[in-house]
Amino acid sequence: MSKTLTLSLSLAAMTLTTALTATTALAETPSWCGPKEASLALLDGFGGNSWRLVTTASGAEEAAKCPSITQYEYADGQGNTQKAISDINSMAARGITAMVVFGDAGPAVLPALTNAHKAGTIVVPYRVNVGGEEGVNYAKFIGSSFVEDGKSWGNWIKANLPDGGNVLFLSGPAGNSQGLDELAGMKEVLDDKYVFINPEPFAVTNWDPSLTQQVLSAEIAKNDKIDVIVSDFGPSLVGALPVFAEFKRSIPMLATSDGNSLSCFWEQNHAANPDFKLFTVATGNDNVRLAVQWAVALATDGVPPTDNIFKAPVYEDSVSGSPNPVTCRADLPGSIYLSAELADDAQAKAVGQ
Amino acid sequence: MAQQAGLTPDGSFALDWRAIKFSRGFVTVVLSTLVLLIVCSVFAPSAVSVGGLSGSLPFAAIIAIVGLGQMLVVQQGGFDLSLAGGVSLAVVITTHLSGGDDAQLFASILIAVGCAVVAGVVNGILVGVLRLNAIIATIGVNALMYGAVFAVAGGVPRSTTPLMAEIAGGKTLGLPNSVLFAVGVTLLVSFVLKLTVMGRRFEAIGANPQAAHAAGLPVRRYQATAYVCAQLLYCLAGVLISGITREPTAFQGDSLLLPSVAVVVLAGTSLLGGRGFPISTVIAAVFLNQLSQFALAVGVPFSAQTIIQALALVFGIGVYSVRWRRTAIPREKLSNSEETNNV
Repeated sequence: MSKTLTLSLSLAAMTLTTALTATTALAETPSWCGPKEASLALLDGFGGNSWRLVTTASGAEEAAKCPSITQYEYADGQGNTQKAISDINSMAARGITAMVVFGDAGPAVLPALTNAHKAGTIVVPYRVNVGGEEGVNYAKFIGSSFVEDGKSWGNWIKANLPDGGNVLFLSGPAGNSQGLDELAGMKEVLDDKYVFINPEPFAVTNWDPSLTQQVLSAEIAKNDKIDVIVSDFGPSLVGALPVFAEFKRSIPMLATSDGNSLSCFWEQNHAANPDFKLFTVATGNDNVRLAVQWAVALATDGVPPTDNIFKAPVYEDSVSGSPNPVTCRADLPGSIYLSAELADDAQAKAVGQ
Repeated sequence: MAQQAGLTPDGSFALDWRAIKFSRGFVTVVLSTLVLLIVCSVFAPSAVSVGGLSGSLPFAAIIAIVGLGQMLVVQQGGFDLSLAGGVSLAVVITTHLSGGDDAQLFASILIAVGCAVVAGVVNGILVGVLRLNAIIATIGVNALMYGAVFAVAGGVPRSTTPLMAEIAGGKTLGLPNSVLFAVGVTLLVSFVLKLTVMGRRFEAIGANPQAAHAAGLPVRRYQATAYVCAQLLYCLAGVLISGITREPTAFQGDSLLLPSVAVVVLAGTSLLGGRGFPISTVIAAVFLNQLSQFALAVGVPFSAQTIIQALALVFGIGVYSVRWRRTAIPREKLSNSEETNNV
């Protein structure tokens, strides 16, 4: 009798332990990570700046959460479309199960993606629109909602500048779709009281700090009244904003994307510039995580995430302090992004400082 | 005429002003710049306002300095495509090795200068001594220098030190310091090129290497020296950029390659080598920079900005070429004989 009891007890204990272990394992393995083993490659069109380094590290961290991923590869196109295409071809030829692609060159990489897709690779381009169709040219496209960013900026401008004013909008290379989407988002919110004083559709800066500085000084000289500057790459303004001092004018309100150097710049300069209010949306390093989740889910038979598009959350607001006040971490490199999920010290390591 | 034209702008030795004749390049570029400034003051006054100029002149100074470097190489019938790598390497060494610490700034600048000398010597040996094609050799060295840029910075931008920002971005007597650096370099290059034996030999070798060789001049050494001096000027430009732009990218030299060639051509230096026009080159840099400021100040779309700049360049070079053709034959002969006499 006692033997049976002991046996029953030990069986119960074993079952409990197994159940507990299984639960823990389940908690550790995200639902998008299925049981089927697979290999994953992250392909970058251009990997040579801090934003990309943090993004790449974020992608690797996300992939590492899934034990079914047995092999992880990374390739950097180095801004060279030919190399980006050859990277895609070579990964497909090596039999990689799934690839997440930052298609910087846009539709130029579509034929290579299509070939890989037809050869059976799970292809997930993200952030940059490469054209084509889901299911025909690739498995899934994970875009980023730049229209949302524009709306967030528009709402903040409306709240802090209710009577209207002059808006200067700076974006990257001429005609880039990100800038056009952001403008569309802002125009949904802002009415005619808000005058865009930049050349249509936005002042071209190529996201280059040196060109930004030249463009901004020309705009300041030309316009006596700039109430708010909107830029989709905040840290590139850090070198340019001191130009206002040359004109003995306060730095105006700024709606942009986050970056540690920008937050620290605000902290050092807002006292001397009474109009300098700062509002940022997350710069979107975590876009890659959603794309990795989709690629892994499709490759390992996991459950795909519910989101198809990455929406950058609002990050800092110097006026309301919500969701975060402006946060400067002077002890960390300027070129990291505190809005990213990747831990601060891991980011510092990723950018090599 | 050659000597007088070179002498005139700094004025130090121009005793009899009536005897001075300006070079065509100088006249063209000065007139174009004046016309542009007048057009600016009518249609885009903000581009010539004090604030507008103080914002844009530092960038003109950078173009002037790299333009002078490119000019030295072009004078030897060469072409330096390693400019982009040279400038970018100086930028990342100054920003990354100093690590934002003023105390490390001087050492990091010295390292940048050291790298510039090495790159210049490599270019010089490849082109001057081993007789490789200048374009191919400098493309190779450019790739090597970008390798070094990635090794130092990994492509990541970093903020400069406060001291460097003060030196390059500050002002002295109301003038941006970078402009003073450009003026200093221009005077130095003009003086060495036009008023020293070494400079006169340098120009003579550029005009006719065979004749110079026959005259017993060390042609290869001078040609190699051009690349070293050019790299030193790119290095200076890179160091200044690291102070003017607070957080420069690792690829800051890329956008300077074309302007550097444009200002050399606009200033009238022949791509086949020969006489150089440092002061015209610097004025051409001001012209080119003012042109982009004009386009920005007028507020035309980006496509039109690019077209305006391209048209102005075509116009500038066109005016120069048309005059050249009309008077080419007699002046060319005259010019050649003068170059030889200068030795």
